Amino acid sequence: MANNKILVIGAGPGGLEAARGIADLGYQVIIAEKRDRLGGTPDESSYAALTPDLRSAEEAIQDMIAPVENNPDVEIMFNTLVTGAEGELGNFKVKAMQLGKEVVIEAGAVIVCTGFQHFDPGRETQKYGYYEHDDVITLVDCEKMLKAHNFVRPSNGEKPKRVCFIQCVGSRDRQIGNEYCSKVCCGVASKEAIEIRQQVPDCKVYIFYIDMRMYGYWENEIYWPAQEKYKVNYVKGIATEIVKKGDKLLVKGEDTTLRRPMEVEMDMVILSVGMEPSSGTKDMARIFGLNQNKYGFIETTGGPMNTVATNVPGVFAAGACTGPADLEDTISSAGSAAMKAIAAVRKNALVS
Amino acid sequence: MPVDKSQIKEFEKIVVDGIELTADWNRMFDQRTLFDYDSTGCMDKITDLEGGESMGWCYQCGQCLPVCPVDAVGGQYGPMRIAKKLQQGIDLFGDPDMWKCTSCMNCLRVCPKEVNMIKIMPAARAVAVLESNVPKELQDVFEKTFEYGNPLGESPRKRADWVAETGSTAPTMKELARPVDALWFVGSYPSYHKRGKDASRALAKVLNLLGIDFGILGTEEKDDCDSMRLAGETGLFEEFAEYNIKTFKKYKFNKILLTDPHALNAFRKEYPKYGGNFEVVHYSTFLAPLMSQLNFTKELNYKVTFHDPCYLGRHNGEFEAPRNCLKAIPGIDLIEMGRCREQSFCCGGGGGGMWLDGFMSDHINERLSENRVREAVETGADVLAVCCPYEVSRFEDAVKSTGNEGKLLVKDIAELMEEALG
Repeated sequence: MANNKILVIGAGPGGLEAARGIADLGYQVIIAEKRDRLGGTPDESSYAALTPDLRSAEEAIQDMIAPVENNPDVEIMFNTLVTGAEGELGNFKVKAMQLGKEVVIEAGAVIVCTGFQHFDPGRETQKYGYYEHDDVITLVDCEKMLKAHNFVRPSNGEKPKRVCFIQCVGSRDRQIGNEYCSKVCCGVASKEAIEIRQQVPDCKVYIFYIDMRMYGYWENEIYWPAQEKYKVNYVKGIATEIVKKGDKLLVKGEDTTLRRPMEVEMDMVILSVGMEPSSGTKDMARIFGLNQNKYGFIETTGGPMNTVATNVPGVFAAGACTGPADLEDTISSAGSAAMKAIAAVRKNALVS
Repeated sequence: MPVDKSQIKEFEKIVVDGIELTADWNRMFDQRTLFDYDSTGCMDKITDLEGGESMGWCYQCGQCLPVCPVDAVGGQYGPMRIAKKLQQGIDLFGDPDMWKCTSCMNCLRVCPKEVNMIKIMPAARAVAVLESNVPKELQDVFEKTFEYGNPLGESPRKRADWVAETGSTAPTMKELARPVDALWFVGSYPSYHKRGKDASRALAKVLNLLGIDFGILGTEEKDDCDSMRLAGETGLFEEFAEYNIKTFKKYKFNKILLTDPHALNAFRKEYPKYGGNFEVVHYSTFLAPLMSQLNFTKELNYKVTFHDPCYLGRHNGEFEAPRNCLKAIPGIDLIEMGRCREQSFCCGGGGGGMWLDGFMSDHINERLSENRVREAVETGADVLAVCCPYEVSRFEDAVKSTGNEGKLLVKDIAELMEEALG
């Protein structure tokens, strides 16, 4: 008898949405989550406000959790790390470690929602001195401070007067190996810039960029308000290096609009780090035998026409485990994966 | 940026590779800020002004630059450049860039962010005017206008002298003492300037031949001051607007007929704010549908090219009427310049530019009018037709200074009609 249950691996926005969708359609779903909480990266990394609408991340994630928590059709397995898999569509046996015990989860189809990790700006080079200067932080560090309403210089605890963002750190870079655009960092940096201007109104904020890539409505929902209402300074030209000067940071780069060098003093520098496949994503690809692209993301097979199918029948992938994705992308692909996973188990049940 | 002396390290004696370095060579610099961004609030000074907000909206796409006439003549100008300078912390107050804009509106036409120089420049300049931070030649014109009611500094008592001088018939509203169809607001240059009077004479003749029931204000008329407003003299503009509106309200008429597109702009867009709601019409718009009633007796055999005035075309949307007037004149072969209609190239006279030629000569390679005249000559035209009173004098000067005397005539559309009427 074919199994109609669907296993969702990962309980971030993508996993939660996929699980909700499956349950709403009357199918049984199991969520395997390695942490002891739902919510994924927005929760784990203490996101302050979501892009683009600046809605509280905590509140939004809570709204995603509510429909799956205490839902009789959703079984949630916390502290569960998937370690192996065998079987095929309609009959997967997925091995996992749960608090030191091995368990086997039986499911008809699998949706991998293991997401991304933030680029570590010290991974390849120390170009911007992230591990050297206290006042050089990342978008992620900045989120935590903004969430706590405590945006201060890590070096001395004082409110900064001038801060800048440096875009495309770890993205669009052949030497690092991440040639892709991480898609969300322009919007996230601009969103954080707005929050800084709200929380520390006399702090000037600069964004050094190669291209501002806020596509679609992000242009008018984030970019324009940041510039027009919150007076964030956008400067075309990326900074190349940061040196310490007294208790400040001297940011060196080229203003490409002026075609002249800039050397500006900043109290803090925020590195707009991009997305990389998470270790969970790489593990799942290995365990399920999923094709990965050269960057390590799970490769989906249908090009733009099918964003969730993988090379293994019955295994689907949604959200940022397949490549840089914003929340809209993730939610949309999770819905698509839920539908396709159900279609797969139904069809399989009819055939067998 | 001035060098911070504390950053210079001077050594009493320094020997490099056995060679003792002296004087300037014996100096080292610390890591220093070479180039900085707005830390003094230069951008905020503009964006905090009512009307100045959009200066901060520029995202440096650069679309304004190829269409900025001042940039085209080497003026290193355009909203994108100004926004960038402000971002660098260069104060617009005290900078020549404050006065280069002719408010021609070609940048706004193409700007995706609607950075609106037509609002920004008057707002910023109004502050400069209050601080008496104005080029002298422009200040002189403000004062002349204030004192005499016209920027030429001519006697207000002589404002209607052109009528008798040119043998024209143009009764004043006071003399008529009855309602008329059209109150003709003649304007300062058409009343006082030699070439302006030629156009006034021609227009009076045309109006009379058509049997138009019109009157002028004569010595009761004062300058419309729209260009002074755009140059920052809002006080002068308001005072004159209130005076002109009061004068208009003394009389009964259906519409105000205008020679000057700048006055048209002021009466149409600004005067309602001061309680002056009148139907206003440029003479080309007024005459175009009446052209068939004129009994032309002479074929002109001119190749004519037409210069769209910024304040008639781009600012007020009238592109067809002047062309229809010209096409109705027998013998005229109308040829277009590349930059025509919406893309028309400014003569340099708007927004105070009329009175800043000396100042501008330090910042540009050639006058805007010279650039335009060269374009007109390239079309092979015999005549450059105009219908804004600033242009006749500007373009005639430019014809001479570019060495095109004898090749190109500058004529008001009304003058061409007069000529064809025999």
